[in-house]
Amino acid sequence: MDLSFSEEQEMLWKSARDFLASRCPKTVVRQMEEDEKGYVPELWKEMAGLGWLGLPFPERYGGGGFKFLDLAILLEEMGRACLPGPFISTVVLGGMPVAEWGTEEQKKEILPKVCEGKAIMTLALTEPSARYDAGSVKVKAVVDGGDYVISGTKLFVPDAHIADYIVVVARTAEKANPEEGITLFIMDGKSRGVSTFVLRTIAGDKQCELTMDKVRVPKGMVLGKVDKGWEMVKKVIEWGALAKTAEMVGGAQQVMEMTIQYAKDRVQFDRPIGSFQIIQHYLADMSIDVDSSRVSLHKAAWMLSEGIGCTKEVSVIKGWVSEAYRRVTAQAHQIHGAIGFTKDHDLELYYRRAKAGELFFGDADFHREIVAQQLGL
Amino acid sequence: MDFRYTEEEEAFRREVQAFIKETVPPGWLGVDPGPEEESREDVYPLALKTWRRLGEKGWIGLTWPKAYGGQESPLWKEMILLQELSHHGVPGVDVSSAQADLVLTFGTEEQKKRFIPPITRGEVKWCIGMSEPDAGSDTFAVKLRAVEEKDCFVLNGQKIWSSGAHHAKYEVVYARTDPNNKHLGLSVFIVDLQSPGVTMRQIMQMTGLAPFCEVFFDNVRVPKENLLGEKNGGWAILLHAFGAERTYGLFVLYNAKRYLEQLVQFCRETHVNGEPLAKDPIIRNKLAQMAIEIEVGLNLGHELSWLAMQNQPTVKASSQIKVHGGGVAQRVANMGMQILGLYGQLSEDSKWVKIGGRMRHTYLGSVGFTLAGGTSEVSRGHIAGKAGLGLPKR
Repeated sequence: MDLSFSEEQEMLWKSARDFLASRCPKTVVRQMEEDEKGYVPELWKEMAGLGWLGLPFPERYGGGGFKFLDLAILLEEMGRACLPGPFISTVVLGGMPVAEWGTEEQKKEILPKVCEGKAIMTLALTEPSARYDAGSVKVKAVVDGGDYVISGTKLFVPDAHIADYIVVVARTAEKANPEEGITLFIMDGKSRGVSTFVLRTIAGDKQCELTMDKVRVPKGMVLGKVDKGWEMVKKVIEWGALAKTAEMVGGAQQVMEMTIQYAKDRVQFDRPIGSFQIIQHYLADMSIDVDSSRVSLHKAAWMLSEGIGCTKEVSVIKGWVSEAYRRVTAQAHQIHGAIGFTKDHDLELYYRRAKAGELFFGDADFHREIVAQQLGL
Repeated sequence: MDFRYTEEEEAFRREVQAFIKETVPPGWLGVDPGPEEESREDVYPLALKTWRRLGEKGWIGLTWPKAYGGQESPLWKEMILLQELSHHGVPGVDVSSAQADLVLTFGTEEQKKRFIPPITRGEVKWCIGMSEPDAGSDTFAVKLRAVEEKDCFVLNGQKIWSSGAHHAKYEVVYARTDPNNKHLGLSVFIVDLQSPGVTMRQIMQMTGLAPFCEVFFDNVRVPKENLLGEKNGGWAILLHAFGAERTYGLFVLYNAKRYLEQLVQFCRETHVNGEPLAKDPIIRNKLAQMAIEIEVGLNLGHELSWLAMQNQPTVKASSQIKVHGGGVAQRVANMGMQILGLYGQLSEDSKWVKIGGRMRHTYLGSVGFTLAGGTSEVSRGHIAGKAGLGLPKR
């Protein structure tokens, strides 16, 4: 057993932390919450230049050939900095499925653009039922000549409004088992018939209503096998959940550090409030939440990197962090008192992101059900 | 980064599992770690037998020097052994090893040669004489007096909550040699509990078992060769002893894993009004939550083992696991009782009892898991303090 990072990994997180501390201050974070696109194109270009956008993709497509654990390390730093923008959408929800299941043509067309920062991607999965199960996939795709024609509404699609490619999960056949008859399509985001509407969300991230009105997708842009898409979707849900978890772990770590510092600095009753027993105990409990989350994240990310089946581990950690990060931010607010309740203070950025993260790709109840299945219940 | 155990480590784990299978009777439902359940009539002989068999295999004191009967094995071997024993609820592992560790750290060559080999052979049990009626979390409030005479120390006073003292040969006694210095006035003695002047009274716990004792010292003469470390140097031994409690939380977690497995099996096998309990969404959610809390705790345990193997400080991590593990065990016990419903109330010897009455026992016994070996409040203080988050004292 070896729980240390490699030298390369140490360098990755250190350089990411420094870069984001200087290039993604909280002023930028707040601006992007109000911004229509939700990301800074110059920053996106710089991240491409650093190799971040191509981190997990094979070198022959312009990627860095890194593994999911390395991506998780990077995502922790992004969560710490509250980095706004379509990173998870592009790299994890769009790029990784193409890299895993795409044809050579699809990979050659899409991945280099993603690595260079020239294409933004996302996954359109959830519909107004707002569930992550196969039965909720009702948007239809029908064959017409050399194309599929897709019509319907997807909801809560992250960054659809700026996506160049949207991986759409649609139903191509009605079978007794709803997990059969689902197909994934790589849709051009600028296609005729595509319209998006950006929802106003608690964390200011850009989740969209995506309406497709007879949108044509060539057969060559089917991702994987027709009618066999749900197995792929289950994997993407794991990747998305784990990626968001990594972001949340980084955020939780930062919140704890902020709060420890505050407890040391804030003097009331002639002593730092961190010297009061209850504050010490709150922070002790916070550290258990944060540290258990971090090591559990690394375990799941490592397993994914090694190709070891980790369905249970992913649901364990997403189920845990969904509630742990919320506890951490709530307790941090309690310790910060009134000043932490103001819009000006950084803490509320994390509190809102903790909630958004909880809901992303399965909340605690969703993942507890997966764990229950894995237990054999 | 690699979370896997090596082939060698996995092979040892299988060896331990085979040992356990041979040692416990068929259908063994397990007991909680520590000496608590050894006071059961049916458990004590098994505990003695297990302790002896562990000694025969050379598995007591795996990491200790060969000169005193140890194996000088790497730490991972000991961790795997203790993981498996806790997971399967095997009796026989108690505080004796931790006391031996104190002797190995602070003892003279003569003391190590005298005391360690019988422990490694599984021939003797030791217990701890730390707490007193007026000295609980405030360990340095110890009053039991040790007065130096020409050829011995004379001990007067009493200890309380000494687990397994009624079965032990030796007690590691924290006594006051300097009444004028609270923190620098303690000395540690290895006391033969057969000594004249030693009497005991077993105290019954809310579990109905009486595994711990008041131990009274009435002019008990302890030879100077049994002073451990320096006179008035007890503070260093105490600090070391606190650190050694590091694995307690981990054992409690492995122990909780067994209860979870028993509950999962119970829910799969039990049908109520035609439906298996395993299909009830509330039960699924509760069991999954417990599985998650146990799993993240065990992951924290991997980090703790890693730190220990790198010889890095472990006070923070072990305190975190202790707090987390104690809470998890109590929640698992409560959840087990909720799932069993009315059946949860039944004693192990009652008609209609389920899962051998284990949930009822651990519901009562787990109350102690956030108290024993340092309360969760004390542990949180350690996490918050200079060994952890560095929060100020005043």
